Amino acid sequence: MAIVNTEFIKNISCSGKFNASACMSCGTCTALCPMEINTLPRLMFRHVMLGLESKVIENTENVFSCLLCKMCEESCPSNVHIAENIKCIRQYINQEIFKLGRS
Amino acid sequence: MSTDRKIGVFICHCGGNISDYVDVDKVRDAVEKEPGVSIAKTTMFACSDAAQQEIIEDIRKEGLDGIVVASCSPKLHLLTFRAMAERSGLNPYQYVQVNLREQCSWAHRSDMQSATEKGIHLVRAGIAKAALCDPLTDMRIETIPKVLIIGAGVSGLRAALTLSDLGLAVFLVEKSDRVGGWTGKFGKMFSQNLIGEEVIEKLLGEVKQRENVTLFTSAKLIEKSGRVGDFSVKVQTRNDETISLDVGAIIVATGFDPYQPAEEEFGYGLKGVITLPEFKQLLDGSNGEILYEGRKIRDIVYIYCVGSRQDEDEESSNLYCSRYCCTSAVHTALLAGEKDAGLNQFHLYRDMRTYGKQELIYEEARIEGSVFIKYDDYDLPKVEYIGDKLRVMVNDLLIGGEEVEIDADLVVLVTGMVPRENDELTSILKLPIGLDGFYNEIHPKLRPVETVIDGMYIVGTAQGPKTMAESVASALSGVSKSASLLMKGYVDLEPFIARVNTEQCKWCDKCTEACPYDAIEKIFCEGKEVASIIPSLCKGGGACIPVCPEDAIDLEGYTDAQIKSMIEALVKDEETN
Ligand code: SF4
Ligand code: SF4
Ligand code: SF4
Repeated sequence: MAIVNTEFIKNISCSGKFNASACMSCGTCTALCPMEINTLPRLMFRHVMLGLESKVIENTENVFSCLLCKMCEESCPSNVHIAENIKCIRQYINQEIFKLGRS
Repeated sequence: MSTDRKIGVFICHCGGNISDYVDVDKVRDAVEKEPGVSIAKTTMFACSDAAQQEIIEDIRKEGLDGIVVASCSPKLHLLTFRAMAERSGLNPYQYVQVNLREQCSWAHRSDMQSATEKGIHLVRAGIAKAALCDPLTDMRIETIPKVLIIGAGVSGLRAALTLSDLGLAVFLVEKSDRVGGWTGKFGKMFSQNLIGEEVIEKLLGEVKQRENVTLFTSAKLIEKSGRVGDFSVKVQTRNDETISLDVGAIIVATGFDPYQPAEEEFGYGLKGVITLPEFKQLLDGSNGEILYEGRKIRDIVYIYCVGSRQDEDEESSNLYCSRYCCTSAVHTALLAGEKDAGLNQFHLYRDMRTYGKQELIYEEARIEGSVFIKYDDYDLPKVEYIGDKLRVMVNDLLIGGEEVEIDADLVVLVTGMVPRENDELTSILKLPIGLDGFYNEIHPKLRPVETVIDGMYIVGTAQGPKTMAESVASALSGVSKSASLLMKGYVDLEPFIARVNTEQCKWCDKCTEACPYDAIEKIFCEGKEVASIIPSLCKGGGACIPVCPEDAIDLEGYTDAQIKSMIEALVKDEETN
């Protein structure tokens, strides 16, 4: 059980390009990803949209496993800026968990 | 049975559809010696132009006075072969079709021997019927170039205008005191953001200028009789006056009712839980931020499929999808977002059915930040108050079914359409109701506005849930159906009506009671009272026939003698081998 937090997504959107909500959850990206990690990238976006911060944190390693190869992005039917979105999530984790300054 | 008839029998392979499972040569051999049969042949495709031409030549050469084509269902080719008979000079009603495909070969693919035996019996019965077929002539009815439209919503108004354009007179009867139906109550509608009220005003303005359209408001239909091309109806108007009208066709455009959730269904009745139409009203009335009972709204949760696609295990469930609601909810969310960009909107759906171009607004809504959460058909979201907070609990299938809870300022139940309660009208029109409770068409895809009653059409949401654009398309389809019927000036009806043997009839009056169409009257004939059939009213239903104690009534095309001889042929013992 988790309570939806509508503020969280605002903290994640690091640039005007962040567009996780455009995702229609088709799963094409996860199927194509060479890393073969279940939560990457679609589920990460769902967690962000619902504001499930703990889920995002739990998946820190997965978020950093992304190669930013954009294999997924090439095929996304909803034009989700997947790599950019992943970068935003990384930036948030860097700041909040690893306490690194803004890049 | 001996007969001096000359019957031709043509047995079709239907490519292999029939002959792969029924030995058609064996069937031909078995029936060619039947009494009355002059010629028996097989053919690869009886419906092909070449085969029809050959049959026509056989009819002429052999001087045939009856033919049997053993092929597919009469639904497919009865009219084809009747026309062929007519071209050959044979009376079209001396043609009999035997269904050797749907009712034999396709049904018995695993047992060729039995299928062949059954085929022989079926063809024999067809021959027995053909031997007793007399020439009949169609009944020609002059059609009245006027149309009655029931319901002056967007469909009814649009249909009235288009019929008027075509030069047909229209009587438009509306039950309530205002026209426009539901569309007239709506603000901006998808997908072109037309304003419902304005759409109606424009249509009504045009209708009022047409001399050949008569609009009755606060009026209802109280009586209907007659048949295709020639109906008589009575309309009760505002001042309880009764007006009699004669029309050639009837278009039923009575619309829908919005689903009204039960108390406590998804929290309905709790403060902050409202239906989609209620929310649309709230939106139409607000400028800038959206207020509900004086409080500013920030978080909205939509629950989709309320009143539609319900659990089939429960009685009186609505099993159908209401089609318009996904799109309407998404469009409404976009409108809400335009008023207040700070809103958080969550859509709890089962399947997004924003089909066609409406997909674009689904995409737009996602880009604008609406979050879509998928719930399971059998695991519905729950709405309740936790303290003073309205909370929605849902298991989100898109994150593997895990439960999430959303605090909402407003819960919008995306309600579907239900059939209008119209029992009185339904019984006057004698229109059949489909499984979903809406008026029933003949075929949802091939004949969507036609009904089993010739000359009566169902359009718009009276036939089933539709968007406004779809309703108008369906109204126009009803227009083209009725106009093509009426602009010809006449209809030819199959002559399959009852006939009274006046010698046998003793006028006991039993048949008049049995006839649902009031098609039997008393006349004097050769010094006595007898029953007589009114051809324009008789529909050939045959209700009068079994009740007649004197066996004085027969149905053309299905006479007792024909049916009996068919049964005898079906049960006849034989040596097929
Ligand atoms: S391919 Fe695009 S739309 Fe499909 S799940 Fe991945 S991000 Fe979402
Ligand atoms: S960009 Fe990242 S998530 Fe996308 S396919 Fe490459 S590794 Fe996988
Ligand atoms: S249109 Fe959408 S909300 Fe309406 S019944 Fe169909 S699936 Fe449910």
